[in-house]
Parts: sequence; structure tokens; C-alpha cells
Amino acid sequence: MEEVAVEKEHEGESETPRVSARQLQEAVDAHPDDPSSHFKLGIFMWENGGSHDKGAAADHFLKSAKLDPGNAAAFKYLGHYYATFSVDIERALKCYQRAVSLDVDDFHSGEALCDLLHHQGKESLEVAVCREASSKSPRAFWAFRRLGYLQVYQKKWTEAVLSLQHAIRGYPHCADLWEALGLAYQRLGRFTAAIKSYARAIEIEGDRILARVESGNIFLMLGLLKKGVEHFRQALEISPKSITAQFGLSSGLLGLAKEYINRGAFKWASFLLEEASKVARGSTHLAANSSCIWKLLGDIQHTYAKCYPWMEEDWGQCSESFRTSILSWKQTRSLALFSAKCSYQQALHLAPWEANIYTDIAITLDIISSLNDDSGFGFNSWQISEKMTLGALMLEGDNHEFWVAMGCISNHDALKQHAFIRALQLDGSLAGAWAYLGKLYWNRSEKQLARQAFDYARSIDPSLALPWAGMSADLNIRESSSDEAFESCLRAAQILPVAEFQIGLAKLSLHAGHLSSPQVFGAIRQAVQLAPCYPESYNLNGLAFEAQLDYQSAVAAYRLAHLTISHFSDRVPRSHVRDISINLARSLCMVGNFFEALQECENLSKEGMLDIEGLQVYAFSLWKLGKNDEALSIVRTLASGISAMESTRMAASVGFICRLLCSISGLDSTINSIMKMPANFFQSSKMSFVVAAVHALDSCERLESIVLSSRSCLQSHEEITRMHILITLSKLIKYQTNNCLGFLNGVMHLRKALHAYPNSNLIRNLLGYLLLSNEEGDDNHIATRCCNMFYGLDQQNKGLKSAYEIHGAGAVACYTIGTSHPRFSFPTCSYQCQNGIGTIRQLQKCLRQEPWNCDVQYLLILNILQKAREERFPCHLRATIERLILVAFSNEPYFEKDTSHRYKKFQLLLCASEISLQGGGQIKCINYAKAASSISLPEMYLFYAHLLLCRAYAAENDSNNLRKEFIKCLDLKTDNYLGWVCLKSIASGYELHDESNILELSFKKCSLESKNLQHMVIPLSSLVDGLISFRSQDFMAAEKYFAQACSLGHDDGCLLLCHGVTCMELAKQLCSSHFLRLAVSSLLKAQVISVVPIPIVSIILAQVEGSLGLKENWESGLRFEWFSWPPDMRPAELLFQMHLLAKQSKVGSDQLRVELCQSPLRWVLRAIHVNPSCMRYWKVVQSLWNEG
Amino acid sequence: MKLAGLKSVENAHEESVWAATWVPATDNRPSLLLTGSLDETVKLWKSDELDLERTNTGHCLGVVSVAAHPSGFIAASASLDSFVRVFEVDSNSTIATLEAPPSEVWQMRFNPEGTMLAVAGGGSASIKLWDTNTWKLAATLSIPRPEGPKPTDKTASKKFVLSVAWSVDGRRLACGSMDGTISVFDVARAKFLHHLEGHFMPVRSLVYSPVEPRLLFSASDDAHVHMYDAEGKTLIGAMSGHSSWVLSVDASPDGTAVATGSSDRTVRLWDLNMRTAVQTMTNHSDQVWAVAFRPPGGGAVRSGRLASVSDDKSISLYDYS
Repeated sequence: MEEVAVEKEHEGESETPRVSARQLQEAVDAHPDDPSSHFKLGIFMWENGGSHDKGAAADHFLKSAKLDPGNAAAFKYLGHYYATFSVDIERALKCYQRAVSLDVDDFHSGEALCDLLHHQGKESLEVAVCREASSKSPRAFWAFRRLGYLQVYQKKWTEAVLSLQHAIRGYPHCADLWEALGLAYQRLGRFTAAIKSYARAIEIEGDRILARVESGNIFLMLGLLKKGVEHFRQALEISPKSITAQFGLSSGLLGLAKEYINRGAFKWASFLLEEASKVARGSTHLAANSSCIWKLLGDIQHTYAKCYPWMEEDWGQCSESFRTSILSWKQTRSLALFSAKCSYQQALHLAPWEANIYTDIAITLDIISSLNDDSGFGFNSWQISEKMTLGALMLEGDNHEFWVAMGCISNHDALKQHAFIRALQLDGSLAGAWAYLGKLYWNRSEKQLARQAFDYARSIDPSLALPWAGMSADLNIRESSSDEAFESCLRAAQILPVAEFQIGLAKLSLHAGHLSSPQVFGAIRQAVQLAPCYPESYNLNGLAFEAQLDYQSAVAAYRLAHLTISHFSDRVPRSHVRDISINLARSLCMVGNFFEALQECENLSKEGMLDIEGLQVYAFSLWKLGKNDEALSIVRTLASGISAMESTRMAASVGFICRLLCSISGLDSTINSIMKMPANFFQSSKMSFVVAAVHALDSCERLESIVLSSRSCLQSHEEITRMHILITLSKLIKYQTNNCLGFLNGVMHLRKALHAYPNSNLIRNLLGYLLLSNEEGDDNHIATRCCNMFYGLDQQNKGLKSAYEIHGAGAVACYTIGTSHPRFSFPTCSYQCQNGIGTIRQLQKCLRQEPWNCDVQYLLILNILQKAREERFPCHLRATIERLILVAFSNEPYFEKDTSHRYKKFQLLLCASEISLQGGGQIKCINYAKAASSISLPEMYLFYAHLLLCRAYAAENDSNNLRKEFIKCLDLKTDNYLGWVCLKSIASGYELHDESNILELSFKKCSLESKNLQHMVIPLSSLVDGLISFRSQDFMAAEKYFAQACSLGHDDGCLLLCHGVTCMELAKQLCSSHFLRLAVSSLLKAQVISVVPIPIVSIILAQVEGSLGLKENWESGLRFEWFSWPPDMRPAELLFQMHLLAKQSKVGSDQLRVELCQSPLRWVLRAIHVNPSCMRYWKVVQSLWNEG
Repeated sequence: MKLAGLKSVENAHEESVWAATWVPATDNRPSLLLTGSLDETVKLWKSDELDLERTNTGHCLGVVSVAAHPSGFIAASASLDSFVRVFEVDSNSTIATLEAPPSEVWQMRFNPEGTMLAVAGGGSASIKLWDTNTWKLAATLSIPRPEGPKPTDKTASKKFVLSVAWSVDGRRLACGSMDGTISVFDVARAKFLHHLEGHFMPVRSLVYSPVEPRLLFSASDDAHVHMYDAEGKTLIGAMSGHSSWVLSVDASPDGTAVATGSSDRTVRLWDLNMRTAVQTMTNHSDQVWAVAFRPPGGGAVRSGRLASVSDDKSISLYDYS
């Protein structure tokens, strides 16, 4: 003992052990009969001592145990001693047993006991010990754990679950337990519980490979392939060589790939299969003698070969690279098939008793031979594939699947039928066998039997593709309406995306008119990937592209079809080649490549294979290339064949001929030809439109009778409304007078038509358009009222103009602004049209729907400009407009040369210029305006650019340039009175005296030319004169001008107001009651005619009448004034006047009057609040205060 | 799977509601619904009661798109005048104002990591990528012009880019154009990969499956919803049923369903395995501009939610289960 202590001291350890050792020794010496001191010393020596101390420790334990037979720990240590040091297993067992029986919960002794028993192979004893312990105490978790493991080992899953669940309560963080529990659940088929247990195990310890692999397996079993694959991937990260994980991963990937193949995602599937095959190949290296891995590899490669897609790339015209691409695709497929064959053979070699591998080989061989097209050899000899199937049948003759396989592989009809029937004898509900039998009968043209077989198959398993395809084929032959056939085929192609079904689907859709549907498009694109050697798939693909109006792609597809024919299939019928060529020529025409289209047609015509459609394309491309004579000769050929055609084709051909004739040889010869044609040619709605259009252009009415007779063919409302529009257009042309279309007649006709068809948006829109275009009247407000704004599909059905254009343009064209926002101005227009903010919102809605639509953008800009003008060009609106204009200028249409786009660009430039002017950027303004003035447009438009320049120079005080631009404006002239008025005010404002004389002269000249101008301008001109005089305090002159304006023009509130105010001023100056009376009459008139009350009018009127002594009128006038202001805009003076009113009517009047809502003092206070700078108000407050 | 109407707010905005997205939950609050409207405002709504949390103003024209950062702290809104306002969701303080050069801004999406904001660049025929640290333009992914006999033949306006979507792993970016093509880009190399064909009218909305990085859903004016293998450039499913333009599509968080909103005024729920509409909601009275599934997260396990917004000025919320 001493030595130990010394040793420890030498080792430099702490003092405590020596001290306690000594103390313990002393305690033992002091009380040799105390078991606890012996035990403590024993423990101390056991723990701290070397191996030779264990014996001494054991002695102490022995003594302690003898003295206190209830001390479990002492027995435990004795057990440890016997088990490890003095290797006396029997005694150890006894000690442990004693320890366990004394303290069941002690897992050390329990575990040690069980370990000993385990080593001795006494499993039943071990179980018994654990059972006993577990029954004794629920806290003996070790026993439950042990028992659980043992039960798992013995595959007693139900009991194991209970034990393990109990054990987990004691050891909730033991990953092993969770894993074992998961396994037990899995074996019991409780998969969700198993997955949860495994997940817990993985959560505790990330690298539990078993848990990962097994949960992967469960996910695969449940069909949650993606999750399974994820688990296997993680397992492989932990242990890259785990065969089970590799097997699981590759089979999971195979399953996923099959799912994707069924969806048609071949590229995706082949991507997954490549990985799967790599993994499976890896595991064959690790475990070369496992047949199932070889079989899996074979399956993967077999599936890969079946789904490997050919991906179309852009080859341009290079046929060679196309060919090599297809060849390499073929090679990839056959290589995969060959390696599948080899893998299956390996599998078979390892497990020759597995019958299904025989059929796998047989199927692979069958596909290989079909790929290589060597089905031709003798019918008497058995093929290898058939032999292999026989091998399977020899092993398991009662397996119906093998019989079905036999039936599919065999080339002998009789044998096929026998095999299928045999399979059905074995299992009558075999849908696949019925389906194949049906196909067999169908090929033998035994339609009745085939139909029955398909029906059986479909009723047994509706998710099988073949019976649907069969039904589709059957329906297609039996019935003319192919919709049902199309639906069936669509279902077949969706269940099983194979090229045969997809091509069939596309063909059916061609007849049923579903070619543009995306289902068909997707199917045909997939067909191209699966069957790139088959010209028909490209041809149908081209047609599908055409149905989607993508002619460029269609041309490419047809070209590929030609290439395929030349490279891979030499047995294509000639009619088929012709169809493709005509399709190609048509698409070439559509993309504008007439030259090549012509070449295609000429090639065909050399071979004499042009049909009606071909002739049309031929003639069209000749005409487009300017070869009119040749085109006419082709048309003649076409015309000679017309009478033999069916009615729909005839209409198309006649229509084509008429249009082409009209384009080539002019209206007269067309009319002559039409008159020569038999009447039955025109008995269709299509022709009636063509004839009516020709008739519209003809001034001599030669086709009147034909037009009238063919009009009876129009049936639907839509056709009739369209005809009305055509008639309107023809009226516009026929009743035109010197460069002005016959708007009036057109509008009249449309009104009548609208009465008959009030729902027609086409008619409404055209009517609105005509009303807007008609410059003579003030029809803007009617125009916007007669058409509705509609969205969505209605816009696809466009007429000449759509509703948003009419609304947008109408709102801009209307001079009266502010109807919706009286904050900014007070309209005097009596029409009250509802434009303003509403239109801007509507246009934004349009722009949201068609953000690429430049017209909407343009109209939006103009409308926002209108709003900005109304609001006196606030900063944020200026910024918005500037940005929008910038965006608009970057749009391509504005680079184009036609007049309407030039005009729009001009307008936008003017807008930009105006915005810059308002923002104080004169330089920018001048630049924009100069750019606008350089656009080549009629002079009357350019006038405005120069007018803007005038204003800009005026703002810059550059009088030289101002004069120049002013003269320029006078040169250009305008027929718009506002233009003249502007010029006039500029002339007076900037003292251009010489120029103003010229202005007068040229204005007089212009007004003689245009009646409209005279009628509008003279009153306005007087108004301007009046305003100028007023500004220069010459009230007499001003009154004269205003009176003149009032007498000449329409009654206008503003004009009358001006006159009234001027008269007031004069009355004040001259103290003349004459002028007062004049003022009253003007103002009264203004008040009466204004639809929306104009502010100021009433208050002035009230004052005038007040000064004439009519106090009653003064009061009512003031009240009227109060209501003509928007609540938040009432001026201080009005509030002040109200105080007077309140003071007046204080006594004995009813309480409803507005002035009585508050005291006079409050009125004045409010006035001060609005305008605190007016001393008058303050004084009144003071006096009121004093009074109060 | 089914939808059940939970709550509808009539006149949620003064004008048509055009855009909606969910702002993911943060530690302090659950997820919020963000909507943008023609009335030039952006509004934040608390689910499930759809209580109005705040109204953001500041746009000069209608708000066409809203996007939320995956962290839930930042969001962006864009209006017709091509200004993008990036703001802090909880305080509404402006972080950045992105001004697109004379092109436009349509659909916007943050990438799953939150480092980029992709903006469908309208007439510029490209996607603009904005760095979310510096708020500078990081890259422009342009759609290559097709080689044809007439390159100026309005091709640029046909490639008008309307919609954009990130794959769930953030490696791919897809955009839909006016001519119906969908273009796929490799983000890391900023490279155009290929087109996806099948639509022949404008593609208004795109979304990648949240569980499958290859799977892309598209909504188009041709009234169909397509399902693509975006890597293998294959159309693998087309779903028909809407009678008018499909304006919006979103995939459910579990990846088994998609929801669409259409000009035919309906919201439809599609089962991807059956490839058919399993439910049609007809509660809106005008075209439905946006649908959005609430992303999972936000503390305890919570049920699925779908929001839809429409031209009828209303917002609807559904329970998805």
C-alpha cells in the first residue's frame, strides 16, 4: 500500500489519493467489521491501483460482501474481478447473478452477466436473465435493451418492438436502439413508424448506414423514389463501397427514370440512367457474382436504350452533321442494348434457374434485331429470342407473363395467338394479353374480334395504353367525326409516350383541328426525339409549328424531313415526299422566302406532282417575285380545275384567284373575270367577302347583283357584322369628296347596323373611330361614349381600331379638361364627357396586359401630358412623362418610315419639348422642337413645332430667333384657331408689332379659305384682344372686344365672365349704372348656361346686385357661390363675405342656411386662417371681438 | 389536395390589384402578404385576417410587380414607369431606388440565397440582375437574337421579356417572352443555354418547382399551363382548362400542385400527377392577376395558404391542404 502511494507521489499526482488511501486503511483497521469501509477501500484500490492491486481489492470486496450480503456493488466488483483477472467464469457468473438479483437496475452487472452468458453461447439463459430483470423492475432499462436486441436477433418483431420502446425510455439518445426499433417496425410492415425511428437514429448519429439504407429501401417500396434515392446517396457518402446502398441507389434511379419516361422527359430519364448505370457497374466490380446486380444493370441499360432521346440542334443547312448526329444516336442505343444483353447473360450465368432472365434476354434480342432491321430471315427457323423465351417457359410453364412475352416476340401469327390464349387461360384477367391479342386481330383485319379484345383489356385495366390506341384506330376508321378517336389516342399517348402513339395522335389532330393544342405539340416533339429517322415525325412537327404560327421553325422541320428521307428511308411513297415539299413551300412563303418556295414548286411541277394547294403556292410565290405573267398562267391552270373540286376547296381557290387577279391585272379585269364565273362559285361566306371587297372599290357598281346574291350565304352574327363594316368602308370610299372620306354616310350606316346588333364591339369601335376622325363636328364625346372598354379575349378579336385607342385618343382630343378633378380647373363645356383620370387608369390596364404595345404607350403619354397640363405641370408628372417618352423613343416602330409612326414620333417630341419648357429647360426644349420640325410631315403639323420654338425663344428672351420662328409659323399656316390665338398672344406679349400686322393679313387670308376657322376664330380673336387690353388697363377697349366676342361666338361662361368683370371695373371707374346693368346681364347669362357652376361668377354677380341695392339677390348669390367651390379650395375672401352674410341674416331666419353654421367671428377667423396677410380681416376680427 | 376560401377583402385597393407575393416570416413576426395595384400603392396585409398592416405610396404609375427577399426583411416594388423601389418591410424605409435604363421592368424575383434580384427587362429582351448588397446592376442576361433572313423584323419586340423565375438551387434562371418562348440561363456563367418551345402566345408567369430543380411551370396567354424539363428542354406536360389568358402560376411548397390565375376570372388548382384541374375557384369577378402560395416556415408547422388578387380590386385568401 505504501509503495503505491509513493509511486503515485513520484508520478506527481495529487495528494488526495494517498491521503484517502491512508484514511481508508485506517478506517478499515479501526473497524474491521464495518463492511462499508472495506468496500470503500476496495473501490479505491480497484479504481486507483494497478493490476496487482486488484487481488487485494477483491479481498476487501469479499470481506465486505460477507459482512453485508446485501451490497450489490461489492458482488459486481467481485464479478468483474473473477471475470477479468482470475478468469473464473463460474464464480463471476454467480457474483453477477447475485449482484443483479440484489440490484436489478444496475446495468453494469446486468450487462456483464449477459456478456458472459453470450460468450458462453447460452442465449436462452441470457434471455431468461433479461426477462426476469425486466419483469422485476421497469427501470431495468439495460434488460429491456438487451432483450430487445435478442428478440430482434430472434426475429420476434412484435415483442422486440415492446422491449425496445421500453428501453428507449431509458436511453433516448441511443442510436442503436432506434435503429433496431426501426428494423422491427419495418419487418412488421409499419413503414411510417420505421421511417421515423430510422430518422431519429440518423438524427442522433449522422453516419448510421443501416438506418439510411433501410429507410431508402422503405421509400422505394412506398414509391417515394426521390426520397429513397436521397437516402442512398447519403449512405454512399458515408460508406462508398456499400453494395446495398449502391444497389438501392441504382434501382431507385431506375424507378425514377421510368417515372420520367412515362411523363415524356426522356432526356431527364437518360441523365438519371447514366448515373444509375455507373453505380450499378461499380457494384458489379465489388460483387461480381451477384446475379441480381447484373440483372439490375441489364434493366438499366435496356431502359436507357429505349428512352435515349435524339436531341435536335441547330445544324443550319448542314446535312452531314445531321446524319452523323442521328447515326451516333443510333449507336448509343445499340451499344446500350448490347451491354444490356451482356449483363443479362452474366446474370443468367450466375443464376441459370431464374426463368425471367431468359425472357429479359429474349426481349433485348428482339429489340436489337428490330433496330438492325434484320427480321427477314426464314420463317421456319426459330429465332434466338424465341428460343430464349422457350427456355423460360421450360422452367416455369405456368407463368402467364412468359406466355405474353412469347406472343410478343414470336413472328408466327399462329404461335402468337396460341401464346396469348395460353396466357389468358392461365389468368383470364390479364389486360396486357387481351390488348396484344386485340392488336394481333387488328393486324389480321378481324376488326370485330379486335374490338372485343380491346374492350376486355380496357375494362380490366383502363390505365393500359394499347387498348386506347386500338380503340382510337378503330374509331378513326368507323366514324367520320374524329374527336373521339383523338381523345382516345391522346389518352394512349399520355399513358405511354411512345413514338407510334404520338405520331398517330398528331395525324388525328390534323383532321380534328387540334394541331395547335400543346398536348399534341408536346407529343410530336417527343416523337421527334424518339423516332428521328422517321420523316413523318418531322412533317407533323412542321405542321404543329405552323399551327402555332412559327413558320421559321416549321421550315426547319420540313427541311429535316427531307434530309431524313434522303439519308435514312428510301421506301417513302412519292405522294408523301410531295406533301412535305408543298408544306415546305407554303412555310417558306410565310417567312417571306419566296425564291426558295418557288424552287420547291418548280421541282414538283417538273415531276408533275403539283396539286391545288401546290399550284396556289406556286402562283403566289411567282407573283411575289414579280413574275406576273407566269403567275397568271398558273392561275389559269388552277381555274381549269376548279369545277372538279369540293365546295370548301373551291371557295378557297376562287378567292385566291380573285385576289391574285386583282393584285396583278387590276380591278377591271378582276371584275370581268368574276362576272364570267358561274354563280355557284360565290355561294359561300368567304367568297361573299371577297366579292364585296372588290365591289367596294368599283365605282361602276358592276357587281351589284353578285354581291347581293352572295350576301345570303352569311349566317352567323359575326359574319354579318363584319359585312356591315365592309359596307361602311365601301361607303366611306364611294361618297368621298375632294380628299375627305364620306364620314357622314359611314356613320349613318353604322348607326343603323348598331341598332340591329347592339352587342357588336366591332361596330361600336369603328363608329367611335369614324366619329373621332371626322374633323368637322364635336363628336369626341360621342365617340368615347359609344364604345366600351373590354379586356382579355375581346382584344384578340381586333377590328380596325380597338376601344382603348378610341378612348385614349378621345380623351386627348377633348379640349375640355378637369371634369373629373375640379381642383385644378372649372370646365365650361356642356358635353361633360367622362375622361381624365379614368382614361389614364384604363390605358395603364391595357399596358399591363400588353406591355409591348407601343400605341397604348403613346396614348398613355399623351393622356398623362393632358393631366399634367391640367395640374400645371407638377414635378412628378413631368418626370414620369420624361421617362415614358425615353422608353417610347427606344421602341423600334419609331425608326420606321411610314407616316403614322412619323407623326407619333413628332407628337412625342413635342411632348418632350413642352415638358422641358415647363421644367425650365429651354435648351432641351429647343432641341426637341427642332428635331420635331425636321421630321418630314405636312406643313400644318410642322406649324406646331415652330410655335413651340417661338415660345421657347420667348422664354429665353431671344427676340431675333423669336421673330424668325414667328415668320416661319406664319408661312406654314394652320387651320386650327388655337394656333392663331397662340400666335396672336405671343405677338402682343412680346411686342412684335411688324409681325402682328402680317399675322392679321395672313389670318384673314386663311379664314377666307376655311369657313370653320372664321366661325371659330373671330370670337376667340376678340377675346384675346380683350384680354390684352384688359391687361394693359384699357377697360373701354376690352369691354368692346369682349362684347364683340360675346355677340359673335357661342355662349361661353368664361367669355361672359370676362365681359362682366370688365363692365364691373368700368362701372367702378365711371360710376355708371349702364355698365352695372351690362355686367348683371352677362353674369346672369354666364350663371345660367354653365352646367358646372363657375366660381367667381356668382360672387361678382352678388356684388353687382348688392350695389344695385338688391340685397336678397346679394344673399342668394353669395350662397350660390359658396357651393360652386370645392370644399378645400374656397378662398379667404369668400369666407370673409360669408361673415357678412351671417351677420345680416342673424335675426329670425331659419337655421338651415349655410352661413349660420357658425358665428361671424368664426367665419372671419377661418378667412384669416386661409389668408393671414390681409389686414382687413384682422381689423374686422378686432371689431367683432369688441362687439362680442 | 384542396382549396377552401378563408377570407376575402373587397376593395382592398382603390383600383385593380396587379401583383402579390408573400414576405417570409422573420423571428419577430409571421409572414405578410404584399400587394401592388394600379392605384399606385403597395399594401402589406397580416394573415389570416387580412388586416391592413401598412400602405406604401410613392409610385407614379400602377405597380406591376412586387418581390420579397427570402430573409423577409426586404421587399421591392416596381411600377409601369420602370422605377423599382427597394424598401425595408418592417419600417418602410427606402433602401434603394433602381432605375432601369430606357427599358421596362416586369416580373421581379429574388434568388433563393437572396444575393440577387432578377428583373424581367421587357423590351430590352434581357434579364437584369441587381446585386442586393450594393444595389448596382450586376449582370444583363440577354436572349440571343435568332438568325433569320430579316434580323430587324420586329424580333426585339417579340422577345419582350415578361416573366422570370429562379430554380430552387439558384443555378438556373428562366424568362418568358411575348412570342411564347422561354429562355433558360446558367446563372454562374451568365450564359444563355436554350429555349423551351410550346407556347405561342406571351408567357406571363413562370415558376420552378420548389422541390425539383429541373421542373418548370409556365403560364401563357394561349390558356395553357405547361410543365417543362428545363434542362432537357422537353415539354413534359400541358394542362388545359382555362378559357382565357393564364396570367399567373405558382407551385405549392410541397411540389405536388400548382395554382393559376386567369383572365377567365377563375383561380384553379392543378394536380400534377393527374395533370388536371382538381378545383376551380370562381369568387373573383374580374381577371386574376396573381396567385401566391405562402412559403413554409415561421415557427410552428402551419397550414398552407394561397392568396389571389384580381382586377376586381379584391384579395382572396384560401386554405390549401
